[in-house]
Amino acid sequence: MFSAPFRPLVSLSAALACALIASAAQAQAPAAPAAPPSWQQGRNAEQEKSTLHPFAIEVTGKSAKELPLDKLKVPEGFKVEVWAEGLPGARSMALGSKGTVFVGTRQLKDVYAVVDRGGKREVKTILKGLESPNGVVFSRGTLYVAERHRITRYDGIENRLDNPPEAKVVVDGLDPQNQPGHFWKFLALGPDGKLYYNVGAPGNIVMPAYFQAAISRVDPRTGIVENYALGVRNSVGFDWHPQTKQLWFTNHGRDWLGDESPNDTLHVATRKGLHFGYPFCHQGDTLDPEFGKHRSCSEFAPPALKLGAHIAPIGMRFYTGKMFPAEYQNNIFIAMRGSWNRTIKQGYNVTRVSFDSDGKPKMEPFLTGFLVDEKADPPMWGRPNDVMVMRDGSLLVSDDQNGIIYRVSYGTK
Amino acid sequence: MNGHHGAVAMFAAALSFFPPCAAPAAEEVPQRAQACTVCHGPGGNSTDPAVPSLAGQPAQFISMQLFLFRQGDRKDPQMSPIAANLSNADMNELAAYFTRQRPASPSHQSARENAAAGRRLAEQYHCVQCHGPALLGLQHIPRLAGQQFAYLRTQLRGFKAKIRADFDGNMTSVAELLSERDIEILADYLSGLTPARD
Repeated sequence: MFSAPFRPLVSLSAALACALIASAAQAQAPAAPAAPPSWQQGRNAEQEKSTLHPFAIEVTGKSAKELPLDKLKVPEGFKVEVWAEGLPGARSMALGSKGTVFVGTRQLKDVYAVVDRGGKREVKTILKGLESPNGVVFSRGTLYVAERHRITRYDGIENRLDNPPEAKVVVDGLDPQNQPGHFWKFLALGPDGKLYYNVGAPGNIVMPAYFQAAISRVDPRTGIVENYALGVRNSVGFDWHPQTKQLWFTNHGRDWLGDESPNDTLHVATRKGLHFGYPFCHQGDTLDPEFGKHRSCSEFAPPALKLGAHIAPIGMRFYTGKMFPAEYQNNIFIAMRGSWNRTIKQGYNVTRVSFDSDGKPKMEPFLTGFLVDEKADPPMWGRPNDVMVMRDGSLLVSDDQNGIIYRVSYGTK
Repeated sequence: MNGHHGAVAMFAAALSFFPPCAAPAAEEVPQRAQACTVCHGPGGNSTDPAVPSLAGQPAQFISMQLFLFRQGDRKDPQMSPIAANLSNADMNELAAYFTRQRPASPSHQSARENAAAGRRLAEQYHCVQCHGPALLGLQHIPRLAGQQFAYLRTQLRGFKAKIRADFDGNMTSVAELLSERDIEILADYLSGLTPARD
């Protein structure tokens, strides 16, 4: 949360050049200017005066009655309502076998559990003092939590919500450089029984280390880690196709290349080891002005779909429930948490991605109304962060701006 | 945006028609806010150079700072124990009250030579980009115009020394560039500014 001043990784040649001149310059040189915070990194001289900025969440949350909920819109036949409130910073969600909804945070240090008591939801803060506990997974009675530096497990958690067990470490040392930039982790359980997580790029546009800008996986039985997808600037949402079992993921493109460039993207990893382009190539077809000079986009796996520039896709899930109409089956819902790095804002919705008979994806807005003035600062009153299909087929949507969880249902009064 | 925000915007717009003054707030002071005003002054207009004014500060800034005190990221012998006992709803209530209060005219007189030098520094170090052209703040970013001199100086020194809680790293990275002289000039310039919207 309190990021240390950003220190970019320099390229090898630059490092050598620096080393050569360093000794000569050291004597008289004034203190090196502090590097900008990671979200500002990569701005050109003109953009130094830009007033575009990321938006801070309401760390104390907002009560639902303060929010303009009547602005929310869903397609005909659907209904949206507040499902739970009082979860400041609510992000990733996981569903327990007894129906508990576990919720992680990034800018807070808490993990919540929401228990449904006959239509009334009770929110408990079950874990405190963690380091950006963004990722949560529930499997066979165990809650797994991804913090910035480690993944831990809490066995038998649903029987011990008021007295959680001590954390057991699955893997530690995931943040050896105390990295700036994208250090918070999404977490999901693959069909292979391994836990998949991201380590984002340590800045806006910098050369990542071998374990950064990657989706990796760890076997919870052995603690052995391996990279799975490379060149992924920052993915904070993934899921596996219910039939092909392939990994699909959202990815955030770089900032400061203009309102329309590059797109954030939706990808499919058809196998382990593919490289998706960062920092060399963006959106499958746009070389980076600095890192792409001597590369070609044809080296890299292209996206399945361009989602819009700076729109910040976070959580995504395939719809496998029984409640929504049949055409929603195996569609993808994506929570769009941005945009901020555009003069005219877009996004702030839940988007539906469906597939035509050739398997070609297309998207349309599904839950809208958070964005109220595309030119205002701020332009929105809420920010969808994750989506999760419940056992009854309804869709939960977390909003970390306000600490609210909404529920979208179909065919109910 | 909606009724609530619209009302705030209208109130803010209405304020701009009146010269700022130190008149006590007409509104009834919520019980919880009364304790704050002992140090922060009536209506959150501090008269102690070391204690910040809260009047007219963005609500999100106030609630976030209270949160940071409660969480222990920001530390202060007075504020830490007070914030430790506040709920999120309490913090939001206090933020909503103080953001509605009209900022008083500054008691601080800036040195004449610092008017131009201070403005130059505020632009050079991009203060105006986040805090706004009139340094009135928005969202989680505080109003600096008319803020107490010693308080501002302490915060800038704290950011420079990396001991002041910084939500997004922006202040820490910029304060590292400031000399002690820059800090003096900026604090002097900012605290003498009239906290009114153009």
